[in-house]
Amino acid sequence: MHLDRGFWTATAVIVVLSLLAIVWWIVAPIQSIMPEAVNRAAQIDLLFRFLAATGSALWIAVLGYILYFALRYRRRPDQGDDAIGLQIHDNHKLELWWTLIPTLFVVALAIFSVKLFLEIEPVNAQGNTLVIEGLGHQWFYTFRYPGIHGEVKEMHLPVGQPITLHVSSYDVIHSFWIPDMRLKVDMVPGLINTFTFTPTRVGRYELICTEFCGTLHGDMRSGTSNDPAYVYIDPPYKYKAWYDATQKAQANASDAVQVASAGTVSLAGGNPAAGKALFVQKCSACHALAPFDQKIVGPGLKGVLHDPKHPTLVSGEPATPDNVAKILQNGFTGPMGMMPNQTANGLSDKDIANLVAFLNSLK
Amino acid sequence: MAVAAVHSGGIADHIHPEPQGILRRYIFSIDHKIIGIQYMITAGIFMILGGMLAEMIRVQLMRANGGFMTPDTFNTVFSIHGSTMVWLVIIPMLTGAFGNLIFPVQIGARDVAFPWLNMISFWIFPVAGLMLYSSFLMGAPTAGWTEYPPMSLQGQPGTSMWAAAIFLIGVSSTMTGINFLVTILKMRAPGMTFTRMPLFVWGQFVTAPLLMIATTALGAALAALFIQREFGVPFFDPTKGGSPLLWQHMFWFYSHPAVYIMILPAFGGISEILPTFARKPIFGYKMIAFSSCAIAILGFMVWAHHMFTSGVAPALQLPFMVLTMLIAIPTGIKIFSWVTTLFGGVLRFATPMLFATGFLATFTMGGITGVFLAAIPFDLHAHGTYFIVAHLHYVLVGGSLMGILAMLFFWYPKMTGRMMNETLGKWAFWLFFIGFNGTFLPMHWLGMWGMPRRVAVYDPQFQTWNQIASLFSFVMTLALLLVIVNVLWSMKNGKRSGHNPWGARTLEWQIPSPMPYYNFKHVPSVFSTPYDFGEPLPYRGLEEELSDSSAPLPAAH
Repeated sequence: MHLDRGFWTATAVIVVLSLLAIVWWIVAPIQSIMPEAVNRAAQIDLLFRFLAATGSALWIAVLGYILYFALRYRRRPDQGDDAIGLQIHDNHKLELWWTLIPTLFVVALAIFSVKLFLEIEPVNAQGNTLVIEGLGHQWFYTFRYPGIHGEVKEMHLPVGQPITLHVSSYDVIHSFWIPDMRLKVDMVPGLINTFTFTPTRVGRYELICTEFCGTLHGDMRSGTSNDPAYVYIDPPYKYKAWYDATQKAQANASDAVQVASAGTVSLAGGNPAAGKALFVQKCSACHALAPFDQKIVGPGLKGVLHDPKHPTLVSGEPATPDNVAKILQNGFTGPMGMMPNQTANGLSDKDIANLVAFLNSLK
Repeated sequence: MAVAAVHSGGIADHIHPEPQGILRRYIFSIDHKIIGIQYMITAGIFMILGGMLAEMIRVQLMRANGGFMTPDTFNTVFSIHGSTMVWLVIIPMLTGAFGNLIFPVQIGARDVAFPWLNMISFWIFPVAGLMLYSSFLMGAPTAGWTEYPPMSLQGQPGTSMWAAAIFLIGVSSTMTGINFLVTILKMRAPGMTFTRMPLFVWGQFVTAPLLMIATTALGAALAALFIQREFGVPFFDPTKGGSPLLWQHMFWFYSHPAVYIMILPAFGGISEILPTFARKPIFGYKMIAFSSCAIAILGFMVWAHHMFTSGVAPALQLPFMVLTMLIAIPTGIKIFSWVTTLFGGVLRFATPMLFATGFLATFTMGGITGVFLAAIPFDLHAHGTYFIVAHLHYVLVGGSLMGILAMLFFWYPKMTGRMMNETLGKWAFWLFFIGFNGTFLPMHWLGMWGMPRRVAVYDPQFQTWNQIASLFSFVMTLALLLVIVNVLWSMKNGKRSGHNPWGARTLEWQIPSPMPYYNFKHVPSVFSTPYDFGEPLPYRGLEEELSDSSAPLPAAH
């Protein structure tokens, strides 16, 4: 096997073109086309630059050699029908390289991606994180904010404030995607998906559904007549103004989810120890004694009455013993599934009092 | 004892008389070659239907506000387009059609191991296809070829028909897998060891277990969906204790291996065409064969990479990401080996070679974007967008379909005894290549910029690139029409090909074209690999195959 001058010339051209592609992907002005609106967007773009640069270089090499060989080794007119090519079966050194090149690429990519993945994944929310719940509907989004009654259609985020976003859905699977944040998570009914991020750039952003959700799936994006609401990253003073105004406006609005009747169960004399036994027997199949987002079928109930991050219950009402009793009595159907009512769960009024006393004792 | 019987020709020489009636000869035939052609015609018809649906999608998307169809019609159109192309075109073309036609001859067998099972496998396929299309009459499914619940639970009545049709297709696939696997394990000609098998046989050999094992998971998922829709058992309903993610796990446990069902046989076909037209041995025969095995095994361990945004536990996502990336290694080995095969050859760019070379260029692109998507942080941006549409069409059209077209031009003379028209073929290739890239290349950046997939209307800022994609898709359709015209025209008017027009060395080219009923008058013996150009053929016992004298066939047992 001899490599002639033509081969090395072709190789030089391919190397130069590959390097040009790599340089292009290093300097490409991604941010001027798509703003990087949250803290991790730049890192994800860096991963994309790495992928695009190595991928382009590899593709140029494959295509370049195909084209060169096609021109160089095309059958010449003086070669007869029985002309044959070089009878090379294998070449262990070359095969080793053909294994090593993709292996090196994969190892580098795996290290890069695993590292970035571990940074992106939600760490337990600590400190001053703002917990927001996003909910999918056919075909629009709503959000729940701590301290704001019910659900709102616009999402506002204070710049620089770490956010923990829990998402779920009322009907079918939707997806929460803000291209400028490079973030996407599915909103699955019966499941709470969580991610954390910190907005870094003030502006108005488009929120788009990317999981097929029915007739108007294509309209489930910011700015359509169907869902005109955008996502805003605001300076803190502006966020505060929006929050205060919305809190006031929502205080008198009717509940998005109605809970049938007022509670009639007397909670006096509830016994926490009896409640604990009942919980293990009746509730623990669906509810963990763990924080809210540790979900089995329903949310985790540890601290359900004492969690500053969740001042409202899933019913949209303030977390008070009476409102918990109402859910136990009347049941509740929401995006996370169905909680059976008193007829179905077989709890007596006394059981409810005991259970509420037990839940109230958990901090 | 059993081994001795095989090698002295006991099972291999077992023959039954050729049926004479039209019904048994051409319709309910048990001859693997007729069944292969039946598969090809049926899949070809479904491809025309699926292609028409594809063009309806592209016409709708020429305007940001749609308007050609209502959103609900659009949703049924893309759902049936995807289901048709995956289950009624690509898989049957690669396994039922080309698999049936070619690999039994390549291993020196007279038929597959279970000819009756083969006939049943085929006849389920058009019935299931008609069932799928009949769903249009009762309200077709709308939730895409993946039919994720709870969306598919809201779907129209035809969604249950869809599930039943795909279930039947799965039964047919499973039976084909069993049949092919047993044939390859038990019916190779004497001396045809595993490392002497042509690479197309390797492609089928690796695909068969995927058909058998993965399809059962799909069957279970479809049965559960059907039972929930018709009888209300809440497998996937979260309000009654079910889980929508259960479907996704079961569906992708099948559908990721199915991606390899749709590409490994094409890898095999490309590995036959490249050495034949380069007049040199395939580079790294063993590496190509074993890397197919590696891909098939890894293919079972990566399904959740379709679910990185769905809410799978992070501790599970990591191994799925790394295992997915590992698949780049065997795939890279293959691509590099194919390119190396071109080095130092005497290359003849007849139409099959053009399509095979085009396959290398476009499949490599699809493979590289596949590695992009394996990286979770990038996938969190690209998942569910047009970037996915671009990637999957680069693999399934630029890879599988390009491979099918290469194999069609390559093996057409073997089926009919006539060549396809070269001028029309070359026009078809260049129009297809340009049309394909023009259609799907812009979808990469459309997706990155924010266009979700499966939408009937979209943000007007994307309209220009969508119009460009639609215009190029018409070019691609024109190319495929040229292929159909070529197939029909050449049947009567094509140049007579003789038995071996390409100078290939595998067994099917050593017998007359079209292939006779028994394939071989005498089962040959094999003593080397089929790729040593310039050497005498590595077979014994083929002397009488091309002679007109009707040598007495061995008596039936």
